[in-house]
Amino acid sequence: MTATNPTPVGPTRRTGPRLRVNRLVLYTVLVTITGLFLGPFGWLVVSGLKTPAELAASPVHWLPDHVQWHNIADAFNLIDFLGYARNSLVIALIYATLVTLSSAWVGFGFARLEAPGKKTLFGILLGSMMLPQMITLLPTYLIFAKLGMVDTYWPWVLWGLSSAPYLVFLFRQFFAGLPRELEEAAIVDGCGYPGIFWRIFLPQSWPVLSASFVIAFTWTWGDYIAPQLLLSTDRTTLAVAVMSTYVTTAGTPVTNLQAAASVMYVVPILLIFLVAQRGFVAGMSTTGLK
Amino acid sequence: MVRPHAGAALSRRRFLSLSAGGAVAGTTALSGCAMRVSSAVGGSGETVTVMAKADDFSPELIRQAQKDTGVRINTVLHSTSKLIAMMTNGNAPDLVRGVGAVDAPYYAARGVMEDLDPYFAKSGVLRPDDLDPVNDLWRYDGRTQGRGPRYGMAKDFSQDSMFWYNTELFDRADVDYPPELDPVTYEEWLDKAERLTRRRHGQTTVFGGSYNGVLTPSLLASLTVAAGGNLFTEDYSRVDFTTPEARKALGWYIDYCRTKVGPSIVQPDPNTWDGPTFQANRLAMSNSGYWLGGLINADKRLAPLSRLAPAPYFEGGRRVSPCQAGTGFWIPSASHHKDAAWRVFEWFFGEAPARARASGGWGIPTLKSLRPLMPAQENYQKRVLSVQEAELKHYSVIAFTPYATADSLLALFNQIAPAAMTGGMSVDTLAGRLNAAMNEQLKRGKEQVG
Repeated sequence: MTATNPTPVGPTRRTGPRLRVNRLVLYTVLVTITGLFLGPFGWLVVSGLKTPAELAASPVHWLPDHVQWHNIADAFNLIDFLGYARNSLVIALIYATLVTLSSAWVGFGFARLEAPGKKTLFGILLGSMMLPQMITLLPTYLIFAKLGMVDTYWPWVLWGLSSAPYLVFLFRQFFAGLPRELEEAAIVDGCGYPGIFWRIFLPQSWPVLSASFVIAFTWTWGDYIAPQLLLSTDRTTLAVAVMSTYVTTAGTPVTNLQAAASVMYVVPILLIFLVAQRGFVAGMSTTGLK
Repeated sequence: MVRPHAGAALSRRRFLSLSAGGAVAGTTALSGCAMRVSSAVGGSGETVTVMAKADDFSPELIRQAQKDTGVRINTVLHSTSKLIAMMTNGNAPDLVRGVGAVDAPYYAARGVMEDLDPYFAKSGVLRPDDLDPVNDLWRYDGRTQGRGPRYGMAKDFSQDSMFWYNTELFDRADVDYPPELDPVTYEEWLDKAERLTRRRHGQTTVFGGSYNGVLTPSLLASLTVAAGGNLFTEDYSRVDFTTPEARKALGWYIDYCRTKVGPSIVQPDPNTWDGPTFQANRLAMSNSGYWLGGLINADKRLAPLSRLAPAPYFEGGRRVSPCQAGTGFWIPSASHHKDAAWRVFEWFFGEAPARARASGGWGIPTLKSLRPLMPAQENYQKRVLSVQEAELKHYSVIAFTPYATADSLLALFNQIAPAAMTGGMSVDTLAGRLNAAMNEQLKRGKEQVG
């Protein structure tokens, strides 16, 4: 039996000192950028494992002399961490689910239906993104107070049902890129627009659905202003609790516990992103927004 | 659950005037206390909404309040915008946290605070003759803070122009300690701070001293009084930084910032407050009053090294040692549960929580009868207490303007002053610009108040 070398298939891999140098430069740049992006988070983790005095030390202690693992337990036990996390999770899930579906529905309308004034309406919708949240703060409270919804989670249900301009834009861009033939074939088969949306367009749009869910969940999980305004201390969210409850008797911040709590606070977001990152990236790239 | 109450909403004028501000923006019992009885007002069985910070009403304290008073407490986090929203909607909270030194004249002038004199008159717990003079920060007669009806009360206090110092850092720098009971001048303080400051490779490793007060506007008002003048005009409708006294105070503070001997807006401390920096042996003098002892006493290494010193004075000026905070609570006039709110007020300021605060060392009790509870077990605590007791006689109210929030004046100061702190603007030019910007703000406030 004669041994034969396999014939290379496809483009030949280029090797050589020049390629190695190019890769070295590329990886160095990528590692540096990754380090820059991860740096603040790394510093937060390290800060959460120091004593207050070490946090304030100069020259800076890059790593704690004695790792204060108990800071994590203290941050967890000092407040009703799980209770606040549950409140955040409920609100974020309600809002992210509803706003994703409602934004998809509105985006579908703008992408596939024709009506007089559609372009103007879409312009107004996008224009509303420019409105700072502070301007609507007081009217928002007054409306929900009149409706008896202060200190309830109903505002997040209503906000979810009323869609979000950015997400509408995301879905509109995606739906506008789907072939017209899909819609026409469905109409010939007797399917109405709700059916076209639900049975054909929505299943096609999982990357955008995924991106929209991640964005909406992150918004709500990280929102400070709305829960602070609308919810009492018992019902508020982790974002508000982490910012306002790690304080000394004199009301001054306990920064190391705040840092430890902040690390735990971002973990769910990281997990969700890790799970949904493929869809998130695909969603952003298929809507022309990358 | 917070529910709107059927009640009169704020008038448009009052709403606007409030919104303008918001936009910027040991339980050891004393024998005497045990004999006291609460006022005859009721409120048992009701629920009061308390707008507070997280440390004010812990879940344990809320449970204790219900047990002791029969009043249930619902808390909402303190926020000026939320307060305005709740008042506008007619469901004002029943007790609101406030900083007496700056909030009391602002809210009282807008007619949104309940006059508590009738309640004090009936109370067996909060007797007017037992109230520390610091509570006068919560009085306002329609023109001047410190006189007239009481609108609130301080939960504890400090004389915020005093300072703590770290003897170890003084020894290391071979700098004399400040005298025990006699004040240093502000110039001497700055000189010590410069000699105590340590720098390496352009980084400050040890701050010589911090001197930022509670809020810069109230600090500048206090410094001006210490220099022998007044920052505000007689009717509190204008500031004048160009008087010799105000100019001296402003110039000193700008020097403090420019020399970078301590944290300031041009050299911020990432810790945001002095505690951790002082604990880390990186701050030789901390402009904090008695309250910082709460932190220091808990640090067995630091406590014997730390001493409290009297408030500095200006040569030719007045010796004053004001309180720039006097944080406490007030009852909105739009509250629907005033009697229940007063019962909680009375309990919080005069019963078990007040005794616990007094023995905690995080502030001087605001009832004179609770002073024996202040920590004095250790020698260093006794030394601190003797300095503090001697300083009390130099306390006086330094009235703040009712026409603007301290935060709004601070925002203006922070916009304009950094140029002077970095040497890009003279103090005289700064004084003129501060006058122009702040007086415009005060003018608008005066128009709203009427």
